[in-house]
Amino acid sequence: MGNDRKVGIIGVGCSKFGVRDELTVQELAFEAVKEALKDAGVTREDIELSVAGTAGTRSYELMPAVPVNEYCGFAGKGPIRVEAACATGSAAVYTAYASVKAGIADLAIAIGFEKMNEVDTPTSLAVGGRSGSYLWEFHQYGTTFPGYYAMHASAHMARYGTTDKQLALVAVKNHRNAAKNPKAQFQKEISLEKALSSRYVAYPLRLFDCSAITDGSSAAVIASEEKIKELGLKDKAVWIEGVGYSSDTANMPEREDYAGLKASVEASRMAYRMAGIDDPVRDLDVATLHDCFTIAEIMAYEDLGFCKKGEGGKFIENGDSDFGGKLPVNTFGGLKAKGHPLGATGVAMFYEIVKQLRGEAENLQVDLKTYKGLTHNIGGTGHFGWVFVLGV
Amino acid sequence: MSDEKFKMESRTFVLKHELPVSRVEKYWKGLEDGKIYGTVCKSCGAKFSPPQADCSYCYSNDMEWVEVGEEGEIEAFTQLYTHPQGFEFAGKPYVIAVARFGDFKVMGWFEDSDDALPTIGQKVKARTKQDETGVWKVYFTPA
Repeated sequence: MGNDRKVGIIGVGCSKFGVRDELTVQELAFEAVKEALKDAGVTREDIELSVAGTAGTRSYELMPAVPVNEYCGFAGKGPIRVEAACATGSAAVYTAYASVKAGIADLAIAIGFEKMNEVDTPTSLAVGGRSGSYLWEFHQYGTTFPGYYAMHASAHMARYGTTDKQLALVAVKNHRNAAKNPKAQFQKEISLEKALSSRYVAYPLRLFDCSAITDGSSAAVIASEEKIKELGLKDKAVWIEGVGYSSDTANMPEREDYAGLKASVEASRMAYRMAGIDDPVRDLDVATLHDCFTIAEIMAYEDLGFCKKGEGGKFIENGDSDFGGKLPVNTFGGLKAKGHPLGATGVAMFYEIVKQLRGEAENLQVDLKTYKGLTHNIGGTGHFGWVFVLGV
Repeated sequence: MSDEKFKMESRTFVLKHELPVSRVEKYWKGLEDGKIYGTVCKSCGAKFSPPQADCSYCYSNDMEWVEVGEEGEIEAFTQLYTHPQGFEFAGKPYVIAVARFGDFKVMGWFEDSDDALPTIGQKVKARTKQDETGVWKVYFTPA
């Protein structure tokens, strides 16, 4: 099954994340595309296929793929628009990867972008609250996205004794990392006391347990091994060595359990099998985990097998996911502090891991031993799950 | 600084949808009679809550409507302090929970006379009523 064609990433770009209300969505995407093409050393004419990833439900431009494609000079080269809620970026990378892997294109670009600040917060919450099943959940009960993760947190805390403090430590770590990342939305550290005394948004989650509402874009140039050789970029390429995907029910009552995300477990095992990862903590140098809420990072430690189920709280408390720990996680600040512009987030994870594996992460650089890294991107609360293993 | 940027407003765009619920009418009518229904596939026995008119497993559309059990147990909950558009009427933080009632799990609003939060594993009763906007829904109270 399949073919042995290797597919690699040769260029990445990422806009500054934050409130980017000076830019249209086209201008925002352009920032990342320009950087990615320059990084790869190719021109827009070299690109054969563009994939545009955006959740696209908070912006005045409801069908922005073509306007973005036009603005970036890719008219005629696609676009394929993909949507997978907060995992949209990973689905965009996958679509570009699969096209190259299949031999349909040799050079493709995945562009993820999101403008989330063009509507007010109640509207934004009403969009996020529809990420499950509108008819059976939002319509009756007014679910919100923080609320969904808060329900998971309530189950995890009750079963495993996970504490407020352990949740807050995830925020403290990720803010500390974001403070050194010029592209992060929040470039400042926060104290444990500040996190623990912030107001509740969705009990048991407080303000500092939640990612904010972010505008941003990211892009990745993806090429076949033959193309990479032709371009003389073999030393620069970061290879996609493992891909895993899964999903779960839209309706919360149809889930078996709330103390973890089945989609994370299944997607990671699929990616590990393909990449030959036996023990992720031993075999990886760095990981980006989907920390839209602090509980999400703790559940991901467990679901991806970085620690045993129920020990995620201890994993953060022991510093295991920090620089110098067992496996540094979200070294660029994560969704929590770097920001979470839905369509851009998954692609931006590739930006981060590519920078790390090339040794270009500057003052956020991890020690490289295995030269492998991982991206974990969740849409909804495990409604979509994507894991990639990258290596050089 | 951001307040000084040159900006304009879009034209107003109202999205309000018709909900096509004819095949699950029994559920919505059931709420008006104080009943909460799930469906069970007569062909393979799969159980659905929320109810469905088609079986996702064996693809049969021969479904039996079954009331969920009397007493439930809380499996997950949250209290929302920040409300989405459409729920301004709540006026105060509201509690959403998922509880297991026998073979079915159900989402609902949890209400306690002294505004206490539920706990995981707490036993609850379910009842139905209309909210201030006329939407029928499920409410949990301590058993």
